[in-house]
Amino acid sequence: MFWHYIDLSWRSFKRTPMVTVLMVLAIAAGIGITMTSLSVYHMMAMDPMPHKSSQLFHPQLNARDDGDDWWTEDNLPHQMTYKDAMNLYRADIPRLKAPSMRTGFSVNLNSPDVKPFIESVRMTSRSFFSMFEFSFIHGAPWSQGQEESAAMVTVISRSMSETLFGQSDSVGENVYFDDNVFQIVGVYEDFDYHVKFYDLTNGAFNRAENAMIPITLIPPLKAQTWGNTNGWKFEEINSYQDMLNSEQAWLQFWVQLDTTEEEKEYREFLTNYLIEQESLGRFEREEVHFALRNLTQWMTYNRVVTEDNRILVSASFMFLTVCLANILGLLLGKFLRRVPEVGVRRALGANKRQVFLQHLVEVGLLGFIGGIIGIGIAQLGLWGVRATYSYYSAIATMDISMLLAAPAIAIGACVIAGIYPAWLVCRTNPAICLKTQ
Amino acid sequence: MYKAMSEIKPIVNALKRSKVGAILLMIQIMITTAIVSNAAFIIYDRSTYLQQETGYPEDEILYFAITTFGEDIDLSQLFEETETTLREIPGVIDAAVIAALPLSGSGSASGFDTLPHDQHQNGDNRNVRAAYTTGDDHVLNTLGVKIAEGRDFRPEDIVVTNDPSMLAKVAIVSRAFAEEIFPDENAIGKTFYSGNTGVEIIGIVDTMKGPWLKDSRPNNVIIFPRVEARMYQNVAVRATAEDRASVRKSIEDKILAQYDKRVVINMRGMDEAKAGYNAADLLMLRMLVVLIVVLVMITALGIFGMTVFNINKRTRQIGTRRALGARKSAIVQYFLVENGLICLVGLFFGCIGAYYLGGMLLREYSLPALNNLYIVVTALSVLVVSLLSVLLPANRASNISPSIATRTI
Amino acid sequence: MLSMKNISKVYQTEKVQTHALRDFTLEVSEGEFIAVTGPSGSGKTTFLNIAGMLESFTSGDFILDGVNVGQLNDNQRADLRNQKIGFIFQGFNLIPDLNLFENVEVPLRYRGIKSAERKRRIMECLEQVGLASRAKHLPQQLSGGQQQRVAIARALAGEPRFLLADEPTGNLDSLMARQVMELLEEINRNGSTIVMVTHDPELARRAPRNIQVVDGQIADFTLYQHGGASVPRKSNTVAAVNPMSVEV
Repeated sequence: MFWHYIDLSWRSFKRTPMVTVLMVLAIAAGIGITMTSLSVYHMMAMDPMPHKSSQLFHPQLNARDDGDDWWTEDNLPHQMTYKDAMNLYRADIPRLKAPSMRTGFSVNLNSPDVKPFIESVRMTSRSFFSMFEFSFIHGAPWSQGQEESAAMVTVISRSMSETLFGQSDSVGENVYFDDNVFQIVGVYEDFDYHVKFYDLTNGAFNRAENAMIPITLIPPLKAQTWGNTNGWKFEEINSYQDMLNSEQAWLQFWVQLDTTEEEKEYREFLTNYLIEQESLGRFEREEVHFALRNLTQWMTYNRVVTEDNRILVSASFMFLTVCLANILGLLLGKFLRRVPEVGVRRALGANKRQVFLQHLVEVGLLGFIGGIIGIGIAQLGLWGVRATYSYYSAIATMDISMLLAAPAIAIGACVIAGIYPAWLVCRTNPAICLKTQ
Repeated sequence: MYKAMSEIKPIVNALKRSKVGAILLMIQIMITTAIVSNAAFIIYDRSTYLQQETGYPEDEILYFAITTFGEDIDLSQLFEETETTLREIPGVIDAAVIAALPLSGSGSASGFDTLPHDQHQNGDNRNVRAAYTTGDDHVLNTLGVKIAEGRDFRPEDIVVTNDPSMLAKVAIVSRAFAEEIFPDENAIGKTFYSGNTGVEIIGIVDTMKGPWLKDSRPNNVIIFPRVEARMYQNVAVRATAEDRASVRKSIEDKILAQYDKRVVINMRGMDEAKAGYNAADLLMLRMLVVLIVVLVMITALGIFGMTVFNINKRTRQIGTRRALGARKSAIVQYFLVENGLICLVGLFFGCIGAYYLGGMLLREYSLPALNNLYIVVTALSVLVVSLLSVLLPANRASNISPSIATRTI
Repeated sequence: MLSMKNISKVYQTEKVQTHALRDFTLEVSEGEFIAVTGPSGSGKTTFLNIAGMLESFTSGDFILDGVNVGQLNDNQRADLRNQKIGFIFQGFNLIPDLNLFENVEVPLRYRGIKSAERKRRIMECLEQVGLASRAKHLPQQLSGGQQQRVAIARALAGEPRFLLADEPTGNLDSLMARQVMELLEEINRNGSTIVMVTHDPELARRAPRNIQVVDGQIADFTLYQHGGASVPRKSNTVAAVNPMSVEV
């Protein structure tokens, strides 16, 4: 019966092409606009590591005097000072921990073959790679020993390796970061996430770094951060060592806590750490103040989904409602004109359910066609988004779930709009086909 | 007018009979009014923001950065020569190394005080946030801003150093900063403090924006006469607007010809840098424009479709009215009044909706309060669009032949 | 076969109660061909609606082929209608989007008959009304008489026990009307029970049994016989005030 209803719907479309085109356009426009903003929203809001996002935590410490305010909602800084990050990293607590910081160098091979280019480089610990599940295609992360001795070693991404050496396997080769020679010990698969979730502080949709070096190289290289630095009090900073000792926050810090037990334990640890730091005279506070947010909470806290996008998503759903009201009106007109035919069908033995289904199939088909055209419109819209704002290049796309959602939303919306008109016609009294004569 | 009024009662009765259609139309008009007035206001807000006066000739200025990886050279000396090379390129007005680039979205800001840090506890200190940058005596000319009061930097003001503790003793500031840190008095010659270092204000520029147009103090800017050549160094070049494109092409070659252990990156015009910083706002603006244009179109089509449907349904009735002597204008008027009534009810609720939506946006998001004028103008526009959408089918209806009344269908 | 006992139908609107049928009682046996006549508004269409289960009735008993119709819900009535009753309408009521084959197919689809079986039956019925060669044509390509024959084929396709015809020749000229009437007579000879509503006395006379509906009741037959005319005397006065309205 379903295919028969599809056949009937198709005939009905052909019979009133103008109204059909109008309704399809209305739903296509509604879906196109809604899917454009919803796709961006979906990409922004998607949990990048669903299996692990509740185990990765980003601690925030309030190591300031009472009465000194940050601009953040809970008065906590997003980043950490060098000494806090390194203290937490070296603390004797057996969990995976990763301090990290974005810097950058002019990358070259000290030969005329490859023109030097600028790349951002992340300085971090070797645990970073297992915490964020980097997959190594050649070699491995640097060893604990290399990290402790601040060895000049690096791991690079596949695309960086291909750019520099024309092949993915470059383990053992040397690369120059500025004037420093680094030995490549590993090559990892490109970090292919839409959100650079391990460093939301310096642009959630920035490209991931293509090279990583040990965090212990910060002092010898006098590495400059390629990100925000926030301070809260006046300090004389006249040397790099002053900077490392200062209260300026410029590092990110992650810790992996697999169970609630571990989380509780870590909270106690942080409390004790802050009490100890206060006793060293770094700051004066009535109460210790810190936060321990997991990845999903951290993304919400950092407003990865922008305010503009939220506004657009709600506006486009209201827009969709207008399209639906519109379609509902047109369907009413279309279906009610068909009452005589329905009367005959009822007289010939169609029951209400069959008539109702026939009309729902028709609006469903309408929604399906509108949804498919809507995907086209949404692609156009997303192209416009990417053209206007290249920063959104990676997120202004439709993934498979959005491609499926478009016709699903369209069909769902049309069926909702069609229920009332379909109900009206299915109530047609079959006697009318006798009376009207 | 009287005639139009006399139509209302039968129209209201007719509307009661086709309730659902009328309610649907009202809902459309209501939502349209609510969305369009708020969207139009956001568009206005963003376009005002995007078009604000920044104080700079944005189409004349080029930005780029040089990273030097050779360590066999004196950087200060090198940049001195680089500036000279740049200034000699035909079409270039001036060039300067600079710490932070205005309007680019990256730079430095800090709080500056009216008292030295050591005396904060014994007096009334005022702390004012400002973005700051450094440059030599060419920086103002390169940025294309003019001294309104006081004087420009002289070569002897410039501190050339590699020592972070060596700070400048004078500064040129934007008027907004001068007025905030020294209200009600002339700031020229006054001293403000960065930590314990006193800085004398020697010049004031009326308008120059900082690196972040969305900063809490976008207008507060300080320029220190200081050059500390860095491995990663920003450079600004100003050329005439016509020559900028050709200057842009020749810069990299000239710089690498001078010394090649360095890379020129991030070459862009000031206008491009600003557009990059504001791209999200432009995106929002464009999306909202598309949204309201399509929305109004859909609503107009809906009204159009509904009127056509109503007319088809009443073809015979219209023919009968015509046969009974109704003029064409009376038929058109009938549909206009009918639609006008629906529209007015929709607009009434739409205005209330717009008002509450505006209030919600103000509460939930960092948007300014909706100007009610936008609701009024939107409501009037929607009314006009809706009446225009009726006019076409209504005119067609008025051409229905009276003879249809006597014909059987 | 069909048995109506004291059937009443009251239409209730806001202010007015209209008695369309009052204590209507009728027995129809298998294989009968009955013509129902009566003035406009007398209730004969209401009778047909109830007989075809298109409408419910207010009170009384209605047994169709052993099934007590009064106890059925809407879906059951639709199914029963589909299985036992074939309709022939004055306005033919062919669905304009569907060709002749598809029009005849409609009741069979609702009965859930398999495609091959459907095809066989449809062609058989179209054959019977002499239009098999035009199966792919659309209704508007046919004359009125041909359309009515298609409608008859559609009514026959479901092999119903009952054919209900509502002014089947009302929209046709006399030649075509005669053809349609002959077709109905042939169908009746083949065993189908037919109830036909008509206001054409000539047509009614061709049916073996005549029923006169006046005022929502079967009129007294003596009137008909003694009056010697095809229209009962009473009808002239009654028609003007029918349907009977009572202010509530």
